[in-house]
Amino acid sequence: MSLLTENTPVKALSRGQVVRTQFAKHGLAVLSLWVLGFFYALAAMADFISPYGESESFFRGAIDRSYAPPTKVHWIDPETKNLTLPFVYNVSSSLNLDTLELEYKEDTTQRFPLKLLTNGQPYTPFPINLIPVSWRNASGFDPQISLRLFGVDKPATLFVWGADKLGRDVFSRILFGARVTLTIGIMAATLSLIVGVVMGAISGFYGGWLDDFIMRIVEILATIPGLFLLLALRALFPLDAKSGVVYFVVVMILGLIRWGPVARAVRGQVLSLREEDFVMAARGLGAADARIIFRHVLPATASFAIVSFSLLIPGFILTESGLSFLGLGISDPNSSWGLMLAVAQEGGMQTFTSRPWMLLPGFFIFVAVLAFNFVGDGLRDALDPKARR
Amino acid sequence: MIQYVAKRLLQIVPTFIGATLLAFMIIQLTPGDFTDRFALDPNADAGQLERLRQNFGLDQPIIVQYFRWIWGILTLGYLGESFTYRSPVSDIIVPLIWNSLSLVVISLVLTYVLAIPIGIYQAAKQYSNGDKVVSFLSIMGLALPNFFFILLLIVGVLAFQADLRQVAKTDAWYKPILEFLTYDLKNGLIFPVGGMRTTEIYDNLPWWQQMTDRAWHLVLPTIVVTTSGLSSLVRVVRSQMLEFLKADFVRTARAKGLSERVVTYKHVLRNAIGPVVSGLGTILPELVTGAGLVEFVYRWPGITPGFVIAIQQQDLYVVMGLLVLSAILLMIGNLFSDLLLALVDPRIRYA
Repeated sequence: MSLLTENTPVKALSRGQVVRTQFAKHGLAVLSLWVLGFFYALAAMADFISPYGESESFFRGAIDRSYAPPTKVHWIDPETKNLTLPFVYNVSSSLNLDTLELEYKEDTTQRFPLKLLTNGQPYTPFPINLIPVSWRNASGFDPQISLRLFGVDKPATLFVWGADKLGRDVFSRILFGARVTLTIGIMAATLSLIVGVVMGAISGFYGGWLDDFIMRIVEILATIPGLFLLLALRALFPLDAKSGVVYFVVVMILGLIRWGPVARAVRGQVLSLREEDFVMAARGLGAADARIIFRHVLPATASFAIVSFSLLIPGFILTESGLSFLGLGISDPNSSWGLMLAVAQEGGMQTFTSRPWMLLPGFFIFVAVLAFNFVGDGLRDALDPKARR
Repeated sequence: MIQYVAKRLLQIVPTFIGATLLAFMIIQLTPGDFTDRFALDPNADAGQLERLRQNFGLDQPIIVQYFRWIWGILTLGYLGESFTYRSPVSDIIVPLIWNSLSLVVISLVLTYVLAIPIGIYQAAKQYSNGDKVVSFLSIMGLALPNFFFILLLIVGVLAFQADLRQVAKTDAWYKPILEFLTYDLKNGLIFPVGGMRTTEIYDNLPWWQQMTDRAWHLVLPTIVVTTSGLSSLVRVVRSQMLEFLKADFVRTARAKGLSERVVTYKHVLRNAIGPVVSGLGTILPELVTGAGLVEFVYRWPGITPGFVIAIQQQDLYVVMGLLVLSAILLMIGNLFSDLLLALVDPRIRYA
């Protein structure tokens, strides 16, 4: 202590700073945060980065690219053997009579240079596309641009990760699918967290018959297997509804069937918190119940809420993917990662080995869920004083 | 003990009624009913449809239908009649449930048999390479969607198909070995890629070949369902063991000179096993629904595919029957895990 004089600056870290330094020590969590940030940036800029639109298909028309394999990008001039600007060849398809599948061969007579910042299908740029279409139409404010990061001139096509049955670019559809898959989890987690925290707080704070009633509901919800409840609720709405409606419906259903565990945990915390001195003090000062709950009790459960929020998201992403996989979620022509896997299955298992690129959306689900799990773990360790390193 | 069981059974009743009533209302809220598809038939007249509705009691208020249905269950154990198949619901859903259970129970047993020793090993050798590898794998397993994993396995089996077919045509010395180790060498399949049995030949096989045929078909789905349960349970076992390895009584036991084996199994494991056992209640539903999507991809005729079909056909009582029986299964699972917990942990009193 003798080293501490009056002039020694004592550095006191705020709680936020402590949490941030603790989180930074969790290498994988930090990395995951960057990966997720990258995914969300890709999803936001999907129109710009992807060479084709979400439902732009090359099927049975002048250009037929059903199950076209990834396009080869050439860097080397075949005549001079020197490095050149990247280019692709047009491909022509022919039916293989043994396997009854289209086979694609490069037509090396004409080169199509890979163009940066080229023009494609027009789209509404981010963030204006967050405004609902009907509002945009009503106000007449709907700017369209057609600038895309890269692409090639038709009739050549550029499929970085191949094409699906309808000749749609898998790479582009993965980017557009990210919009659905990565946001639906956050929306549903927010909803179930809000419902769970409020229900848990009411239940723990008031006790009595209200507590009994809410806890019975939680038990009933836990008794019906989640997937079945989800399917039964989904059947309330037409299966062929518009994707926008389905998105909303799925968020509501997911949010409303998974709040039970959150409510139970919050209730447990509130039960002990309401006996604390600061609650007594607030009550003594004449604060209303709502004020005590929202200003004094709930903030004390914040770290639990943050952690359970981040751990709810990956579960919801998995559930949404499963639902879309069953064909009950977002439907064609819109895209989501689960739906892309379902479509991949359609051609029959036997043909899977000839087009493995159709499995890519599964890896994206895997990476996204993994990253959310790591972030959740990192947050839990950072917010838990006992786990300090 | 008997008193405790009776009390737990009594607690189930209101939850059960609430759950079935909720399910009944949700399904009745679904627009239209199963007679809708006959309405599209130009030969059907309105009077006929009305009679059909009356036959099935669909013209009654929901609450009356509900009580009729629940009365049938309580007095006769009768789950109602399937609209689509015109036969008792139990005839339709009991096979589905058996199929799902055969998959889930085997996976559940495997999960526990594997998770406990692996978790103990990890805790005993914390931060060793083995621990790190298993931790890494279990995190991967948590993030890998079930339906994607089974797809990957199927694609993996099919990837070798062409090569194996070639082997089957030749007379290589290792052909008999491969024939023994694979499911169907002639078609190049190491494992079956779908279904519950080889339908074309199953009925003509002797019983022991029927058994092996079924076992072959169980391999891939069991791997998927087991790994998903395993990856969460291993983490629980490990963290539980680690928590108690730091406890004072463990230091005391070591100081007394007890062998590490006795310390681990008698002192630590006995204390740490509680949440692992009660985890049965949460893992069982996870496995049942988790197996659902696997059943779909693998064309396993289980609960979930049956449920989806029944919902699409609005076959009310089949849906309800499946919900009721799976809810009962979950409640039994919970009860069972509570009883087991009371058995392994003397601190829990039955009162």
